Amino acid sequence: MKTKRLLDRDEVLGPLCLLPVVIYMALFIGFPFVMSFVYSISNVTIGNPHYRIVGLQNFIAIVEDPVFRKSLVNTCIFTFVSISIVIVLGHILAELLRREFRGKWVVRFLVMLPWTAPIALGAIGFLWFLDSVFSPIDWLLRTWGLLGSPDSLFGAQSNLYWLGRPELAMTSVILVHVWRILPLAAVILLAGMNAIPREIIEAAQVDGAGYFRRLFHIILPLLFPVIGVTILFATFFTFTDMTVVWILTKGGPPPNSTQVLASLAFLKGIAGGDLAQAAAVALFFFPVLAGIAAIVLRLVKKAVVT
Amino acid sequence: MTGRISRRRFLRTTGMGTVGLALGPAILTSGCTKKKAARRTLRLLQWSHFVPRYDKWFDPYCKKWGEEHNVDVIVDHISLSDLRSTFASEVAAGRGHDLIEFIDPPSDFEPSVLDLSDLNQEAVKRFGAQLPATTKSSYNPFTKKYYGFCHGWTIDPGDYRKSLWEKVGMPDGPRTWEDLLVYSARIKSQLGVQNGIGISQELDSNMAERALLWSFDTGTQDEGEQVILDNPKTVEAVKYMTELYQKTLTPEVFSWNPASNNQLLIAGKASYILNSISAYRSAQKDVPEIAKDVFFTPALKGPRGSGWACQHVIYVSVIPTFAKANADLAKQFLLDLCANYDRAMWESELYASPSFFNAPVPEGDRGYTRVEGAKILRDVFNAWFANDPYALPGEAKGKLLPLQDAEKWSANVGHPGPASPAEGEIFGTFVLPNMFARVAQGKQSAEESVKQAAAECRKIFDKWRAQGLVGGKG
Repeated sequence: MKTKRLLDRDEVLGPLCLLPVVIYMALFIGFPFVMSFVYSISNVTIGNPHYRIVGLQNFIAIVEDPVFRKSLVNTCIFTFVSISIVIVLGHILAELLRREFRGKWVVRFLVMLPWTAPIALGAIGFLWFLDSVFSPIDWLLRTWGLLGSPDSLFGAQSNLYWLGRPELAMTSVILVHVWRILPLAAVILLAGMNAIPREIIEAAQVDGAGYFRRLFHIILPLLFPVIGVTILFATFFTFTDMTVVWILTKGGPPPNSTQVLASLAFLKGIAGGDLAQAAAVALFFFPVLAGIAAIVLRLVKKAVVT
Repeated sequence: MTGRISRRRFLRTTGMGTVGLALGPAILTSGCTKKKAARRTLRLLQWSHFVPRYDKWFDPYCKKWGEEHNVDVIVDHISLSDLRSTFASEVAAGRGHDLIEFIDPPSDFEPSVLDLSDLNQEAVKRFGAQLPATTKSSYNPFTKKYYGFCHGWTIDPGDYRKSLWEKVGMPDGPRTWEDLLVYSARIKSQLGVQNGIGISQELDSNMAERALLWSFDTGTQDEGEQVILDNPKTVEAVKYMTELYQKTLTPEVFSWNPASNNQLLIAGKASYILNSISAYRSAQKDVPEIAKDVFFTPALKGPRGSGWACQHVIYVSVIPTFAKANADLAKQFLLDLCANYDRAMWESELYASPSFFNAPVPEGDRGYTRVEGAKILRDVFNAWFANDPYALPGEAKGKLLPLQDAEKWSANVGHPGPASPAEGEIFGTFVLPNMFARVAQGKQSAEESVKQAAAECRKIFDKWRAQGLVGGKG
């Protein structure tokens, strides 16, 4: 009887319903996080789960490591360029998807496909697309006379070697990643755009505001909280992602031209056997991402309040 | 009233459902375990073999072995790329498979696996001496522990297109690294077909770069596990590779994965690659006209006459400490596998070679036409490599003959020292391909790049020395 009465009270039932989520997060997010922190200050290896605490040795070692520094720079380039492209293209795509046209739902479905399909599948498709010998892009360029002869725009060589040249490899990795997260950004921005009251836009139109004035003085300021959330999500997905890099380049072409922190952590921990340094590399994300999240959320909150 | 669900009822129903789902499998499994308690189970974790035919033979073989020993044998095949992470999880959990087969020396798992000195001694007693390079891939001379048992390995020869090499006046393919540079440059300029040595962050490039260093009388470490990379011979090898890249390769070799050189050969777009005979076997099935044109060379000789190749695959099995209760079964299984290695060679289409060449060939039906007079595996090996039983009709005879003495020019990762965890990390994090690539791409001088790679190697060695797994001095 007493239990029955307890369950009827909201202050008991509420926390009780939340309990599974809390347990889930503690087990699958909290525990691994604590373990990775402990690992990062230990000398644990892949083959020996017994370890001793070594302090900040691993952090000092990775900061001194030129491969880590290169991966850090690559991660920043990968994230900054991807996010910039995603925000601009996402906005254009959202703008297009807002308009009424025949087959809109089919187009929306197709736009969402890269996000809903397994990324490994898409990346393997791109692996063929960007193949050094059999790339259909290169084939098209050769067919159009843009590649493969001395007077061609892209040079006399038969292929562009998308994944063999450091700059082209980084470009390829960024573009594939943009292809993947663009739908998510577009949908978030679309939802934000739809939430802007039509009267405000119409009033501006009546007052003679052109497209760009409306965009920069009304739509973008009102969209700022949504853009902030989009940047936050996209940054987290990009900063912590290794799938695209791993499938396309494995961090290459050498020397580590597209190596990012996530792939370096995997390489050090699993292929190299040094779990402790891998954990230190992985934990490097945490203060950076926490800082970005704090700044963006603060700005968003400020924008909403004002 | 009846159609509505109360909070209490909802909680009770979903709660019971969740508990049922969580405990159901455990209850069911415990019932099965009790039933089977009388019969022991041996669990094998096996990589999915590159030659599918091998697994088709191996699984029924295990089952039959289990029946003969009153044991249930469970074989789990997983992708090669998942093998280390899966075993690491098992080590951390303290439970899992009883016997795990790797294709590279798992020396960093030494603290978590049983010492197999007794098994190795018993194998030598039964089958004769083990190849030194395979011992070096399963034994740590510093801790004096056999962390694994190496039953076989794979040859990594040069695969060349005879028709192309004939046209530039070298019908038998290159014999030295200098030949490779001079003649494959001619093939590229005259016939438009490139050479196929990778400089990428992948396995085959790692092996090719090691073969080159050893043939130039240098390497990452010496026999005493001291880092020796930073020396003029390494600089010489790096400069050679830069010239090889400029004259015979294209930037695509920086983007390669382990399958790329096979694909290039099969597509008829490579004059020479360093790979096991699997590339040739694939060509036999997919493009027979290319396969008929593929021939083999032993390890290429360097400027002072040394010629080494890296063992392509090294089959090392380990028994985790948590599987101690089944160690006797696992050891028996491995000894019996060695005793049946003629079948392993045959079913892998000669991809696998034995560590114990003097093991006797068993009597009776072996699933292949018996080699007349063959008493030990060496006899069978010589006969098959003299006259390839898998050759296509009309194919030239004796193609594999240059590989008959492959054990003399094949070395383990870490040669001339052992395959230690430090060597494993250098291999796994691609220190050497990066060293060669920096110079080939013009980003560093050979001297600077070698110095940087040597510094990386020293740090890795020092780290593993601190773990007590590597000898030598820091």
